[in-house]
Amino acid sequence: MVAVLPLISALIIQLFAGSVGRSIARVSVAATTLSFLLAALLLWWALTGHGPQTLPLGNATAILLFDPLSTLLATIILGISLIVHLYSVRYMAEEAAYGQFFVLLDLMTAALLFMVIAGDLITLLIAWYLVGVLLYFLLGQDTRSQTAYRFAFWTLITYRIGDLPLILAAALLYDAYGTWSLTTIFTEIMADPEAHQVLGLPLTEVVASLIALAAFARSAQFLLHTWLPYTMDGPTPVSALMHAGIVNAGGFLINRFAPVFVHSGDVLHGVFIVGLITAVFGSLLMLTQNDIKKALGYSTMGQMGFMIMECGIGAFSLAIYHLFAHGVFKGTMFLSAGGVINDSRKDDGIPKDELYTFAVEKRPHKERQPWLLMASITLAVPLVILVFAHLLIAEDYFQKQGAIILLFFGWVTGAQLIFATYRMRTQNIWRLVGLSVLSLVVVVLGYAVISHAFDLFLYPDPAFRVQLYSAATIDLLSFNVLVVIVTLIVVSGWIVTYYADQNVFRRRQQTQRLWLNFYALISREFYVSDIYTRLTRMLLAISGRLNVWLRWL
Amino acid sequence: MPESLIILLAGIFLPLFPMSMVFNAIVDYSKPAWLRAFLLVTWPLIGLFILLNINVTLPDWLLPLALFTSILYALRILTLREVNQWSGFLATSLWSLLWLPVMQDTTAVLLYSYALSMSVPLILLVLLSTGLEQRFGAAYIGLYGGLARTIPRFAGVLVIVVVAAIATPVFPTFFIMLHLVVETLAAKPFAAMVLLLIWLLWSWAGARLIQGLIVGRASDVKIPDMDISTIGFYSMVLLALVFGGIYLSGVIL
Repeated sequence: MVAVLPLISALIIQLFAGSVGRSIARVSVAATTLSFLLAALLLWWALTGHGPQTLPLGNATAILLFDPLSTLLATIILGISLIVHLYSVRYMAEEAAYGQFFVLLDLMTAALLFMVIAGDLITLLIAWYLVGVLLYFLLGQDTRSQTAYRFAFWTLITYRIGDLPLILAAALLYDAYGTWSLTTIFTEIMADPEAHQVLGLPLTEVVASLIALAAFARSAQFLLHTWLPYTMDGPTPVSALMHAGIVNAGGFLINRFAPVFVHSGDVLHGVFIVGLITAVFGSLLMLTQNDIKKALGYSTMGQMGFMIMECGIGAFSLAIYHLFAHGVFKGTMFLSAGGVINDSRKDDGIPKDELYTFAVEKRPHKERQPWLLMASITLAVPLVILVFAHLLIAEDYFQKQGAIILLFFGWVTGAQLIFATYRMRTQNIWRLVGLSVLSLVVVVLGYAVISHAFDLFLYPDPAFRVQLYSAATIDLLSFNVLVVIVTLIVVSGWIVTYYADQNVFRRRQQTQRLWLNFYALISREFYVSDIYTRLTRMLLAISGRLNVWLRWL
Repeated sequence: MPESLIILLAGIFLPLFPMSMVFNAIVDYSKPAWLRAFLLVTWPLIGLFILLNINVTLPDWLLPLALFTSILYALRILTLREVNQWSGFLATSLWSLLWLPVMQDTTAVLLYSYALSMSVPLILLVLLSTGLEQRFGAAYIGLYGGLARTIPRFAGVLVIVVVAAIATPVFPTFFIMLHLVVETLAAKPFAAMVLLLIWLLWSWAGARLIQGLIVGRASDVKIPDMDISTIGFYSMVLLALVFGGIYLSGVIL
């Protein structure tokens, strides 16, 4: 009923929208509310320790799976969908295709729900595919806008490219195990991971690589990301749903196939690298955008990079938490954007405080604290956290690579904050630094606690949790060398920035030119979309020429 | 009759390049909608009938030729603008893939149902193109646009018909394509990759058709939209396709 209610609502609206009018949206809201309550009930049922349940649909092929992952995600999807529904009732009131919008919204909710509760590969494929198609039409809600459809098409084609590896993975699994049932396939994989091979490679490695590719396309990973920053012409509720829910599907998919990734050799390392590149490039592009909407798009891309990266270090459940937290954060941001703009027209609301003076007016404090002292704090805090974690949480904490990497990112972020704000005009600089350090500690500890809670719920088997982390582990020496190299790069970057900021040495002409070239590269978004546009035109030219040669027959 | 002649004859009806040009030339010259619809139903059935009733050993080179034909026409659809021609090319791309199940010794009933499942959405598209010709004088992508605003009911039906034609779930062609990928992947992985590429090109072409027809500002001239009874007819056929797809999935997957 959880997934069927939105379908029924879509059908009712399609049939009666013409005669009932705009109040038909109430049906959609009511169905989503009811569905949300049912999903919450299922989540509570899972939280009270009940094991996974499967529900065959009609013939034996289609199966629904209610496990901690599916019940949690169904509740999140319906929660976000309900907010979007409520928001859309008034926001979309002026739209000519008001009823059609709610039909599409309900169908999208149903497709997302079927995607997360699919217990077999065919249901998963159908839902996965339909999400892309429905998103295309939702983004193109304004049928007058060629631009909206142009970028909706980018989304569709990227999603379709991402569908292909998932179809291949499903076909390979079916060919090997003779069943579409996910639970049966996973049970057999766990029993004998190396039972099957494809082209001389272990099946699990090939399937995990294909699943990762499908996840990359859906979650806008680098080189498959161009659609995300450009799809802002769709209605605001669709942007909210897309950034808060749909784009996170990659994290879900990797979690769903966790039993495959456990036996996937080096695939998780590849996932980590792709996530890392996406996080860096997404954040870099976000910081250099003039268009606030594109900046939001790139912000989502960066966050998706972090989510995929978390999967790459074996912190699968943390990726789910990230998906949830980012969904709520970004959804709120999109839905409140209109209100903020409206308020700012009446009153700019900019406080003339030290933060504004420092960040916007670029007027730093003339007197500053010793830089070396600040640098020492940034180095000491993570070490203290690490030592405490070693003493209080686990003795082998130094060996937990996933935790070290997350701490590393927390450290980079926190230190960057101290580095950026220590010259801010403030009455008490130590209060500011103290708050920065405290926020770093709270974030790191909060993440650790929440991650642990999600771990216990999503992956209750301790042996499987250990397997997940060890699948993402590399040998200790290489890991330590990497940590040292990356730390040196980050610290050198800070030192260079510091000296450049202080005008200690003059930038040479060549350096300036290099810097300008680099900025041009970023402002053209690394030419990725330009290359794709050129390739598309080439393909269309080939198609047209073939038609002329073959006389259109 | 020599085997090569039978294959040649079958290659006209289950299109293999360059014999595929025969079908497209006939579609081009057949102006009445009923004739085009008749051709779309009977053409692949004749091909299948020939292959199923005359004992012939199919050579291995037919598989790459069938895949080549399908991908060639899928690529060429991208730049087509005339809707009837678009339907003919998509039919060619779809039907040439019927050689794969023929070579895998699929039962006659299934083969005929594959052919019909592929043709029915295209017949609906041909009927819709006649509707466009009656309203605008031509069924031409990118010529007028704005159908979603000018004739929203017609545009809605058109979108669903195109979606059904390009092998989208839960229409039968989706399950047929999935079945073909599963069947070919183990023995011929390269063929499975080509199948997926063809599938992707169909989606691309479908999106271009939809964008070229429905997007844009509403026409200043009042144009009659599709009436309720006609919508009922299209809805019934599309619903039958959905149920047929779900049923087919239970049989072949």
